[in-house]
Amino acid sequence: MKEQKQLYRKNFLLINIFLILITISLIFAVTLAYNLTKKYVENEFSSRKINVLEQTIKPYNDFFKNRIPEITFYQGFLDSASVTKYVHNVLTKFPFVERVVFYDTGISNHTITEGFRVNNFGITPKAVYQFGKNVPQNATVLYKSNGLTNLSLKTADEFNKMAIKFSGYIESLDTTKLLSTEENFNIFYSVTPNRITYMNIPRREDLNIYKDLMSRNQPPSPIYEQDILTFYLNPDKIKIVNTHPDLYESVSIKPLVYENLENNEDHMGTDITLPGAFSESKLYLSSSKSFLKIEIGRRFLPIALALSIIYGVLVFIAYLIYRNLNVNSKMFKLQYDFINNLTHEFKTPVSVIKIAGNNIRSAFQLSERERKHYGKILDEEADKLNDLMNKLLSFTQIENNAITIKYEDVNLEIFCQNIIDSYQIKYPHFQITYEISDIAYYKTDPVLLASIFQNLIDNAYKYSSAEHKVLYIDIYKRKRSVIFQFIDEGIGIAATEMTNIFRKFYRIQNQYNQQGSVGLGLAFCKELVNFMNGTISVKSKVGSGSEFTIELPIEKPVQLNEVESTSQTNKFLTIN
Amino acid sequence: MILTKRFMRILTRHTWALCFLILGACTNASDQIRKIPLVNFFEDPQRTAFNISPDGNYISYLHPYHDRLNIFVQSVKGDDVIRLTSAEDRNIAYYFWANNEEILYLQDKNEVENQTLFAVRKDGSKERTLIDFKNTKINLISTGRVTNNEILVALNKRDSTVFDAYRLNIKTGRLVLLVKNPGNITRWVSDANGKLRIAIVSDEVNETVLYRANEQAPFKAIVTNNFITSIYPIGFSEDETCIYALSNQHRDKRALVEFNLKTGKEHREIYGNSQVDVYEGVYSKLKKKMVFATYETWKKQRQYLDNDVKLMYQKLEDQLPNTEIKVTDKDSSESKFIIRTFTDRNPGTYYLYDSVDDKLTKLSDLNTSFKEEEMCKMEAITYKSRDGLSINGYLTLPHVSSGRNLPVVVIPHGGPSARNSWGYNAEVQFLANRGYAVFQINYRGSTGYGKSFWIAGFKQWGGKMQDDITDGVKWLINEGVADPARIAIYGSNFGGYSALHGLCFQSQLYACGASLSGITNLFTYSRSVPPYYKPYQRMMFEMVGNPEIDADYFRAVSPVFHTIKIKVPVLIAQGGKDPRTNVNETNQFVKELKEKNVPVIYIVKDDEGQYFRKQENKLEFYRQLETFLETNLKKR
Repeated sequence: MKEQKQLYRKNFLLINIFLILITISLIFAVTLAYNLTKKYVENEFSSRKINVLEQTIKPYNDFFKNRIPEITFYQGFLDSASVTKYVHNVLTKFPFVERVVFYDTGISNHTITEGFRVNNFGITPKAVYQFGKNVPQNATVLYKSNGLTNLSLKTADEFNKMAIKFSGYIESLDTTKLLSTEENFNIFYSVTPNRITYMNIPRREDLNIYKDLMSRNQPPSPIYEQDILTFYLNPDKIKIVNTHPDLYESVSIKPLVYENLENNEDHMGTDITLPGAFSESKLYLSSSKSFLKIEIGRRFLPIALALSIIYGVLVFIAYLIYRNLNVNSKMFKLQYDFINNLTHEFKTPVSVIKIAGNNIRSAFQLSERERKHYGKILDEEADKLNDLMNKLLSFTQIENNAITIKYEDVNLEIFCQNIIDSYQIKYPHFQITYEISDIAYYKTDPVLLASIFQNLIDNAYKYSSAEHKVLYIDIYKRKRSVIFQFIDEGIGIAATEMTNIFRKFYRIQNQYNQQGSVGLGLAFCKELVNFMNGTISVKSKVGSGSEFTIELPIEKPVQLNEVESTSQTNKFLTIN
Repeated sequence: MILTKRFMRILTRHTWALCFLILGACTNASDQIRKIPLVNFFEDPQRTAFNISPDGNYISYLHPYHDRLNIFVQSVKGDDVIRLTSAEDRNIAYYFWANNEEILYLQDKNEVENQTLFAVRKDGSKERTLIDFKNTKINLISTGRVTNNEILVALNKRDSTVFDAYRLNIKTGRLVLLVKNPGNITRWVSDANGKLRIAIVSDEVNETVLYRANEQAPFKAIVTNNFITSIYPIGFSEDETCIYALSNQHRDKRALVEFNLKTGKEHREIYGNSQVDVYEGVYSKLKKKMVFATYETWKKQRQYLDNDVKLMYQKLEDQLPNTEIKVTDKDSSESKFIIRTFTDRNPGTYYLYDSVDDKLTKLSDLNTSFKEEEMCKMEAITYKSRDGLSINGYLTLPHVSSGRNLPVVVIPHGGPSARNSWGYNAEVQFLANRGYAVFQINYRGSTGYGKSFWIAGFKQWGGKMQDDITDGVKWLINEGVADPARIAIYGSNFGGYSALHGLCFQSQLYACGASLSGITNLFTYSRSVPPYYKPYQRMMFEMVGNPEIDADYFRAVSPVFHTIKIKVPVLIAQGGKDPRTNVNETNQFVKELKEKNVPVIYIVKDDEGQYFRKQENKLEFYRQLETFLETNLKKR
């Protein structure tokens, strides 16, 4: 027994250790997960700004890569009318373009008053127009080459830059080579902060002509048309697309030199420089720490939930293992007791028989009284053994559903009397009385019913004091069932034991059942009653007796072909 | 046992027959759909440009030497073959017999497309450069035989925008400025004696014919016409009071006329056709008269003006039945002729014809790598446009076909001032051999159908010209020939423009499109009038539009502004030096298409201009086109 207990204790320890370990793991995992999430969110905070930049700058890229080169498509043929249409499109589609200045440019070898001239190569603005949201109608024309207006330095600034660049390019032009993409960009785009100047890319042949104009003295050439457009951009008008509102509380365009000097512990900020013409501005993205904390929480929640679920499942499994162990230990204990008892049960009659046998063998002569006495002893003890074995056998059978019910009309009066009579012979001091009301015949299997009676009567006998063995059997009809009540005045059953008494191998530990009980009787009864579709219940009070009530249905369930196959069972059950 | 034996016997008896059957089936099938290698279609003819010496004793031709065309000379009997030239960088572009001893030839020189004029004796000796100036183009004014060792040339040496007339002595190499071009003369014409007598002046839109009685007299204007009307001098009449000319003055269809130089009036109409323009008048120096006129309905036809000539052609036709005949050169006595034949399915053969003894000698086949039966028939078709105009075209159906529900390649011709003609066309036959029906259209704006039909195409880029093409495709669908889901549009120059325009604006009609040197932008195109064609600028404004006035129209019809509308696969091939397009622009165009995930194949050849001249570039293009069409017009 001691070893057993130790074994169980060890198992619980394991479970406990397991629980402790997974709890520690849970705590560890949760902290780790939280920290990782925090790190992750912080990383995202500093890396996702690229996405915001990408989306925000998309219209600019479209403008720069597709709309500006469109000027080249006009091959210098843009005039005030067509440029108005083009610019109108640009201004409506790209809000960050504030103002556009258009230099309708001519290239020739004429002498020029305004513009830029290298050798014979002259670039001159024929007219300068400006367009924009805030440009009044009458201020559209900035210059016209009719000699009435002068080209101001400020207006000509971008023009001159482009003209110098282009002249330099023409001077060093290798006419046999094709223009590369980089050259295109370097020469025909002039990108300065908040300003893009673009000149339409001439065809190869035009470039060759320009080169000729520059390098050779020729009669006055025709005027070749070029278009130069300057776009004035306002970075503040860029529409910010916050693709990650979960990360960035606010996104704004700030000058490149902007620093957040607020002494705010709670504030987190990051920035990224805008490309191209906006390179003097940056995208400033900021969030408060508490805002980020919410985001961390939001991202951590599912992880925590998943961890809890895993933990819950593990704990549940531990509980199941624990319960299983518990049940097993109880079963183990019961079976151990059973074997103990059974051995004991078998031992008593066997030793009695052995003593009787010894006595008979060692006596020289047996008197008549002695012979009867020993005979009776041997007979009784053999009966006991037989009874024990029957019980075991039938119990196993009933548990395995190996028996069937053989119905016949039973006269309850005769049935009861027969059983009581047999007990009266066995236990003369046992007072059994019975009463039958409302019912005389009952259709059932008499063998099974007798078995129930025997067990309950035995039980009543066993658990009554030697001096006061009384049993009252009450049989009556209630609704559609027959009630059998066995009321004894024995030791009674404690409320705590109530649920256990119908269990196999369970015995109440007391002086009454030291000999001759295996703890099968009531369990067997219950099995039988259930088998016959009935119920069994018990009411009891310690010290004043117990009351077992069996309720069996009157209707016979339709079960055919049972009569033939029950003979074997009958044999077992009738022996008692 | 017996049964098996009998079976075996039957089997052996029939095995041979079976074998033949299978073999026959195989060869038949492969015969019909033999995929002729791409290179065979486009290979240069081995011998081409046959000419005969004035005395009729020598025959010259161009033949590849180190992959470039060079001049070879042989006797009429076919022996004594000599290679005269050793050009290795560029083909010989043009040559002619100056006299019985010497040949003059023009060679395209290096990449700036300067031309050089050379002379060489027929035995290959005394090869010398006659004219070689940087950035100068050479136009030959005098054609035919050289008199007094002098020829007339027009050079833009002095000013790249104008051509002055020079007299060149081919013996001494002396070049004398004959007439300085005041800036507006676009064409010089000499008389049979090599005297410069006529000049055509173009004053932006008007064209004036100037005439002088002799080289000492000043030029006098005799007639002025709008550029739409033209009087094209062919030669002087015997008494030199008249010229023979192709004229559409006061008529819609161009006719062969005699034009009085004194009165400035048309003297008489020699021949006119009520349906189409007369496009050629052939003058016999020997007979000193026009001998026949050529006009082109669905195919080229001759109207004889001289009985002897008629008889000669009839004799020729008897010897060469079912084929077209063209005289490409003749000797001074007009007894020996170089003849070229062709049909729609045969690029043809060069013959030497001796009219004295009616003897035909074969000189060379143009392409021998396939049989005539393997080529496909080109058929003339006519349909009505949406506004009721009759539009002519050609349809070439692939060999193995039911003629219904076919994949079609529509090829609008370039120009647009040009036309498709009946005859062998390598590109058409190549596509037909690959299983496509090829559809060619002489949409309005095409030449040859009269003045009004041509004018109807003015400023109709992407307009009525395109409508005609669209109507043609719809007609072909209605006829059941075209599978509406498998139509491609492909063309070069204007055809390429039309293809791209079709993809932009009739996108539901075409499964894909290809453009070879296509015009993508009318603004760029209108800048491409070279400075020396300045007089043509106004003409261009009339025909295409003025980039400043018609900016909205240009923008509306130029594919480069409408990339967004293209949804189907595109193939774009482009020469880096094509003056009519801007490679940057095409790059931008392709870039935008790629950004929209439209499948684009883009071929740029930096060393090519408007046309792909190099064989390897040409072949690469056609190889790409073949796979492109294969992928996008997949056979169902």
